[in-house]
Formats: sequence, structure tokens, C-alpha cells
Amino acid sequence: MPSNTAPRISLPQILAYIAMGIVVILVGLPLIWMLFASFKLTDEIYRMPGTFFPEHPTLINYPAAWNAVPFGRYFANSLITTFAATASKMSLAMLCAYALVYTKAPKWLKDGAFLLIVAALMVPGQVVIVPNYVTMSMLHWADSYQGIILPNAATAFGTFLLRQYCLGLPYEVVEAAEIDGASHWQRLWLVIMPMAQPALVTVGLFAVVSEWNDFLWPLIITNTNEMRTLPIGLYRLYQTEGLQSWGIIMAGTVFVVAPIVLLFVRSQKFIIEGIAAGAVRG
Amino acid sequence: MDAKLNRRQFLRAMAVVGGSTLIVACGAQATSQPTAEPTAAAPAATEAPAATVAPTVVMEPTKTSVIDVTYWGSFSGGLGEAEKAMVDSFNASQNNVKVNYQFQGNYEETAQKLTAAIQAKQTPDISLLSDVWWFKFYVAGALQPVKDLMAAAKIDTTDYVDSLINEGTRKGDIHWTPFARSTPLFYYNKDMFAAAGLPDRGPKTWAEFAEWAPKLMKLPIMAQPTPDAAAKTPVPTVAPDTKLMAFAHPNSASYVAWLFQGVIWQHSGHYSDPDFTIRIQEENGVRAGKFYQDSVLKDKWAYNAKDIGADFLNGLTATTMASTGGLKGFEKNAKFKVGTAFLPEVDQFGCPTGGSGLAILAGLPAEKQQAAMQYIAYATSPEGTTTWSQATGYMPVRKSAVESDSMKKYFEASPNAKTAVDQLAKTQPQDAARVFIPGGDQIIGKGLERIMIGAEDVATVWGDIKTTLEETGAPVKEAMKAIEG
Amino acid sequence: MNRRQIPLLRESLTLVGFVILNIALICAFTFYPLIQGIQLSLYQWDFISPFKIFVGARNYVRMFSDRTFWQIMRNTFVFTFSTVSLTVLSAFGLALLLSLPLRGRELTRGVVFLPTLLSGAAIALVFNYILDDRYGMLTQFLHLFKIKSPSFYTDPFWAMVGIVVTMVWKQAGYGAVILIAGLQGIDHTLYEAAAIDGAGRRARLWYITIPSLAPMLLFVVVTGILGAFQSFDIIKVMTNGGPVNATNVLVYNLYERGFVNFEAGPAGVLTVVIFVIMLVLTILQLQVGARNNAV
Repeated sequence: MPSNTAPRISLPQILAYIAMGIVVILVGLPLIWMLFASFKLTDEIYRMPGTFFPEHPTLINYPAAWNAVPFGRYFANSLITTFAATASKMSLAMLCAYALVYTKAPKWLKDGAFLLIVAALMVPGQVVIVPNYVTMSMLHWADSYQGIILPNAATAFGTFLLRQYCLGLPYEVVEAAEIDGASHWQRLWLVIMPMAQPALVTVGLFAVVSEWNDFLWPLIITNTNEMRTLPIGLYRLYQTEGLQSWGIIMAGTVFVVAPIVLLFVRSQKFIIEGIAAGAVRG
Repeated sequence: MDAKLNRRQFLRAMAVVGGSTLIVACGAQATSQPTAEPTAAAPAATEAPAATVAPTVVMEPTKTSVIDVTYWGSFSGGLGEAEKAMVDSFNASQNNVKVNYQFQGNYEETAQKLTAAIQAKQTPDISLLSDVWWFKFYVAGALQPVKDLMAAAKIDTTDYVDSLINEGTRKGDIHWTPFARSTPLFYYNKDMFAAAGLPDRGPKTWAEFAEWAPKLMKLPIMAQPTPDAAAKTPVPTVAPDTKLMAFAHPNSASYVAWLFQGVIWQHSGHYSDPDFTIRIQEENGVRAGKFYQDSVLKDKWAYNAKDIGADFLNGLTATTMASTGGLKGFEKNAKFKVGTAFLPEVDQFGCPTGGSGLAILAGLPAEKQQAAMQYIAYATSPEGTTTWSQATGYMPVRKSAVESDSMKKYFEASPNAKTAVDQLAKTQPQDAARVFIPGGDQIIGKGLERIMIGAEDVATVWGDIKTTLEETGAPVKEAMKAIEG
Repeated sequence: MNRRQIPLLRESLTLVGFVILNIALICAFTFYPLIQGIQLSLYQWDFISPFKIFVGARNYVRMFSDRTFWQIMRNTFVFTFSTVSLTVLSAFGLALLLSLPLRGRELTRGVVFLPTLLSGAAIALVFNYILDDRYGMLTQFLHLFKIKSPSFYTDPFWAMVGIVVTMVWKQAGYGAVILIAGLQGIDHTLYEAAAIDGAGRRARLWYITIPSLAPMLLFVVVTGILGAFQSFDIIKVMTNGGPVNATNVLVYNLYERGFVNFEAGPAGVLTVVIFVIMLVLTILQLQVGARNNAV
């Protein structure tokens, strides 16, 4: 055993490294499998025993998927709706949370508003789909960006999280700002927002992830390829290609997954710390 | 094909450029004068009215009076391409109507979207509706009766295959025009049949098939010869320990209840009477259910496939029952020779019609209705249905198309397609429990899953299914009475 | 007005101005539809027919006497319970492991967390392919040992296993990150004191780590329950609730009754059932949370 030559690595440590390796394999394997399959020809996919690494790596699945359904358009739609809904969620939740914590309005008013937020947490998203579809259509907003975005423009969960976070912030700082004559806007912008940043990141991240990946609502509210978002497009690709073309479907999946992976790789530390801080303090 | 009004309407905007008159190919006489490929300029279309109503202003074909027609459909993949080609050729054939084809997912999803759209009063103009969904929309008063529109468009409704047009006719008016109509076919892998020493035909009865099954299942699964030896080396496609199966059942989502309907008829049973009296739980229904159960669990020559099409193509099953609409896909993608046959018999023959038709949504302005009818007339014209049928495997819906030279030639080249049309003559309209009770198809389909996968007692399952069907059917029955008296 | 009322009024107006848009959107797109859904539970309607018949409690009676409903309740419980317990266990294990001073643990944390962010539909497709009993990765792997892969499609038990595994794979990283943060927050002097008192590894885990982590564990459990209880896209893409309703859970059933079969009444009943369950869960959470804070 190497314990003599490398005395600083103990047996438990070796075991821990092995465990970590297994974890990485277990978690990473599905994604690697997806990626590798997207480089395989159909013949190679339907072979037994099969291959893990692509034998003759090919890129043909990518243009095939891209052309089978208009992924470019889906991509743009996902970007637009995700950005709009996230921006709206973050600002509305921040405004609301600030007001609930720092205004000196009567308690019943603040409690009433807060109660509404908490109650909304209990309504699962699937419950509201049908009536919302009707509302949107009556406004002639079915199959439009407004239609996709509006029901997702506010977040009870985010508001709740931010309020709890603000309650944990030192109140004296706001008081000092008030004494200095700062308006509510100034107090929100200059004092609270910087302090609440971890929770805001959490809310924003939840928003990005839930919008980008939202499935049922865009499935219902969009009718045309001009309006469909990526997950719906992927589902359409799956329906179009059926079970026969895993290579093409996996290439389509890469289109959906890759942007989030890249975003994550770029800001991993920030995101993880934000999530943790938001939850732990909240 | 188009209505008088319609023609006048578009003639107003019709351009006569450089003396070449571009008039819609599906002129009134199109029924008697086949224009195989309407995209080509149709010289015959300049008829008297066109000359008399010659536009006073000569100008480019303006977009001003183009009527947009939104059409929701369920075809994707190869079928979707054929559908798109149909729409494109229609749009190219004339200048006054532009159809926008919008894929909405499978039949169920299209019906879902349409329900939501009707509730929101924002419907498409035309919708493709499957055999199990159109009735619900009819009962809700959501479908436009089209007899008058058809008359105005000079469509000879008697030229539609009787059994098909009759299905969509309620209270003397047509609500659902046959378009992508199909029947189940018995598909078999000719190469495997030859290798197993079986005759090159489908089994006459299920009992005969049960005798054949062991021979098929003895075949090594890799034995399927690759027809084109010049191409790549044959690729083994499955695990060596995978056993070849003789027959594949689909799941409820792939309409096992449609296929089983033929089987219950073969056992002299029925899902229900036309007056919604449920009969599935009766002795013959139980017998048929037991037959399906045994095929999987006792005799084990059949199994429940995730995708019968993929498994058949990949040579995992020697035979299957599937829609005629899958024929072209099978023929195109199979590495073996595909054979088709009538459904096997038990006490008697039994085979339902199926597939989907086109409906115009109620409440459209007159010009939209006419524009929508113009497309339906085009798509279901003898030429339209011929093109569609040859591209997909769906049935030609016009008698004159079935007898046309083009179809006859096609049948010679493609005997499988002939099997389908020959069988069409022997089909029966479907049972009310499946097509009139909303979700009836899935209710029965899930029952079949309980029988074949859950191994539950057939009589018990059918008893449950009967109760569910009755409960679900009651409001439809009432609504139907209110509408039809 | 006296001097005290003016700021009070101004503060109230500020509050209203700041919250109005948020609350209005939540009311319009959450409460209004909820009320509509509850109302529909008293009717027999197919969403489009002009005949909307008031049937009182009949939909409830039928639903609660329907065998399938209880199967779905059981499925929901099995799915939620196994998903959440496995998620919490793996998250806890991961957190302990990735809190050790190991090289590359930051990267590993990242890898583990990543699935949380990915589209459920995309993940479901990938797992569909992995678990495909003919060509999937698992089949290929088991084939090396001449083991036949179970059928995740036709076998009711394995279908449930398939969606649970997928959910745990997707959710565990989130819990792990929360718990890692929690572990970092534990006062190290506690461990040192315990070590001096001679507490073993296991004792330290039981008497220090877990109690200190309780609020975080609760958070993970609650978000896990909410996530599992409401998961739709994975089930829709992977199993469609089948085979034989084996993976049909409440939320999927609501979709099915409402959107596939268009039975407004039963869909309304399910809306109420789901809402009541959520209500109970939330109240429990608040109570447990309050007790924890008090301790």
C-alpha cells in the first residue's frame, strides 16, 4: 500500500476519493451517455452489444435535429420568455418583500398581503392551467409571448423567500438610512438589494430554471412553431422522430441542456453559494 | 369544387397576367375532370364564368382578398410531410385562400387543444379530428354542418365511400368529412414467414396463427436477411438472448382498443350497441379478452410492445396489427419484405374503420366557411385522396378514386395497398362505446392493459369497464337526446 | 388629520403600490383559477358542451368510491415517499462526503448540483433511452454480466422505479448543496468539545450533526415533497402514467381527467384533493418549523 510512500493520504481518504469518483460517474454518466449517443450513427445505437464511446463519431445528428423542427426559433422564444419572466419575477418579488418588511403600514394590511402570498404557495401549477388558458385566450393572447409569460410573471415562492431573508437582515441599517432621509426607493435600491443579493440570486435562478424548463403551460398555450419553446420543441422532435432515432433525439436534447450547462459552468460558484445562502438564511 | 360564390370572390382579385389565366385547379368540374397534380397550371380551368367576369382592373395577384385558413392537424414525420405537401399544393393551386397547417401533437393532443380553444372562443377554422373525438365536438355544437357548403362547392357527396361519409353524418347533415381514414391491417414479415416455412399469406384464423407462432419463434432473431446485400453489412440489432416474438400488441396510448374492437367482433361480441348499452362484459367479450390475455401470458406468442412499428421494423416481432396509415412508413423503412393480410377470423370476420377526418368549426363567417370548404374539397377530391393515399397508405375516400386508373396502376405496383382497400369493403362502423363516449377508447385500452399486463381476471376488469363506460356515457347520451331528439 | 395619520397613510399607500402588481398577478393566475376549479367540482361538464349540469357532491362520491382513485392516491404516496426519502438520504450522504477536505470537491459539487437545473422533459428523454430495455445503457451494461434488464415500460413495479430513480437523480444535488451549507454553519467547537468528552464518530453524527442540520433537512424534505408531489413532465414523457396506471399520480391524473378526458367535474374534485393535501403539508411544515426555531 502506498501509505508508506505517501504518508499524507490515509485509507479513509482513499475511500473518500473512490466514493467521490463513483458519485461523479453516477451523476455524470447519463449526460455523457446523452452526449455520446448524439455522435453515434443509428446502426451503432441499435447494436448489441453496443458501444459506450462513439465508434465513428459523426455530427450528422445535429443538423438533422436542427432541421427536423425549427430549433433556432424555439431557442429565441425560450430566451425571450425566460428573460422576461425572470426579470419580472425578481423585481416584483423584491418590491413586494421590501414593502412587507420595511413599510410602516398597518399590521393587518401587511399580514393580509403576506397571507395571500403564503396561500398561493399551496396551489400546484397544474391546477390553474385550464382557467388560465381561457383567460389568456379571451385576451387574445393564446400563442403569444404575453400568453406564455404573464401567468409566470409573479412568484409567491420568491416573494416568500425574499421576505424571510429580509426579516433576517439587521433592521438598524434601514433605520439609519431612514433617519438620513432616504426614500423607500433609495432604501430598497441602495441598502436592501445589495444585502439581499444571495436571496435575489436564488429567486432569479429558480426563475430562470423554471421558465427555461417549463413544460405544461407552454405546451398548452402555444399552437405554432413560431411560439414554441425549447422543451416543447424537443417533445415535438420526440414525437416526430419516434423511438427510432435516439441519435437525433439526443442531439435535440443537447440543444436544450447545453445552454443551462454553459451558464452553470460559467457561474457555478456564484450559483451554488447563492442557493445555499438563500436557503440557509431564508 | 369551389362554390360559385367563392369563385366569384376570388375572380374579383384574380389577375390575368400576360394572357395566361391562372385559375384554381379545383374548378367546379374537377370531380369529373381529374387534375392529377394541381400545382401545374390547369388549362381546363378557364371556363365561361371566368371569361365573363374578367377583371376590369388588370393587376398583380394582390394579397388583399386572400383568406387565411388555420388548419390544426396531427400528422408528423413522414405523414406530416405528406400533409404539408398537400397544403402547399393547395396554396399554390389558387390565389384566394391560404391554408396554414399547424401541427398540434397526436390525435388526443389536437382534441385537447381544440377543446381549450373552443372554450376560449379562439378556434382554428379546420381541425383534423380522429374517429373517437369528432363526436364530442359535434354534441357540443362545435362543428359546422357542411352539406350546403358541399353542395355549393359542387361536391358529389355520393362519391364518398358510403361507410366513411355515413360515419360523419348525423341528423342528415355531414359534420365530419373523411380524410385520413384507415382500417387495421395484419402486417407480416415475409422473409420470416419464408424462413419458417409458412405460406406467403396471412393466417385465415387466429387458431391457425397460434399454430404458426411456435415456428416463427424458433427463428433466430438475427436471421433476417438484409435485402440489399450491396449495402452495409447486416447489423445485428438486438441482444442475442432476445427471443423473436410472433405478434406485438400496442399499448392503450397507441389505440389497442381500436384493434381489439375487430377482435371482439370476431368473437361475435361488441363493445356496445348503438344506443350505448354496454356489451363488453358479456360472454363473447370475456372470451375475446381471455384470448388477448392468453396470447401474452399463457401461450406467450405475443407481447406488449413499447412501439409496435419500431419492433416490427427491427425484426423483433414477425407480425403485428396496425393502421393502414403506417403502410408507407413500413415499406419505406423495412429491411425485409412487408406483407399485409386481412385480419384473422375467429367465429367470423371483423374489422373496424378508423383514422381521422376534417371538420369545419362552427361560427365562422361565411367566407371563411367557404374557404375552409375549398380546402377540404381539395384534400378529399378524387385527385387529392389519390395523392394522399399513395403517399401514406390511408384509404382513398372517394369511390371514383378507388376505381381510377391511377389507383389501379398503383394497386398493381403495391399489392399491400390493395389488401387494405379490399378489406375496406368488409369493415363495419365502430361501436358507440369507443367512438361516442369521450375517452371510451382509453378506458377500454387501460382495461386491456390490466388484462394483459396486470394479469387481472377478464370478467372483473370488463365489469369495472362497463361501469366506467356507463357513467361516462350517461351525459353524452343525454346531450345527444337533447340535440337529436 | 393629525400628524400620526399622514405617515401611516403614506406608508400604506407605499405598501399597496409596491405589492399591488405582484398580488394582482398572483390573484389572477393562481386564486381565480383555483376558485373556478373548486366550482367545477360540483358540475358535470366536458368543458365545451352547452350543457353544464349541477350535480352537487356526486363527483366527490364517485371519485372516492372509485378503485382507481385510491390506486392513484397510493401511487402518489409511494412515489413521493420513495423519492423524498431517497433524495434526502443521498443528499445527506453527498453532503457529508463533499464536506471532507478533498481535492476536486468543488467540481464534484458542481456536477452533483447540475441535474437540478436541467429540463425535466430532456432528462426524461435521456432516462427513457438509458432504461430502454432493448438498446439502452442499462441493458448494455447488464448484458456484460448476462443479466436481462427489467422492463421499465411494461412492468408496473419497474416503471415506478424508473421515475423515482430519475427524480432522485435530478433532485439529490440540490439537497446536497443546501446540507453542505448547513454543515459549514455548524459550530466546530461543538465537535471539539464532544471529542474531548470521548464521543465517537457515530455519536457526533447523531447528537451534533443531525440536530444542527434539522432546519436544513426539513427544508430539503419540504422542497422534495413539493417537487415530487407536483412533478409532471418526467411522468408525462417517461410513462404517461402507465402501465396500467402504475405511475399515475394525483397531478398527472388531474391533467388526464381535465385535459385528456375533459371531465371538468372529476378534475375539479382532484383540484380540491390536491389543494387540501398541500394545505395540510404546509401547516405541518409551519408547525414543525416553529418548533424547530423554538428549540
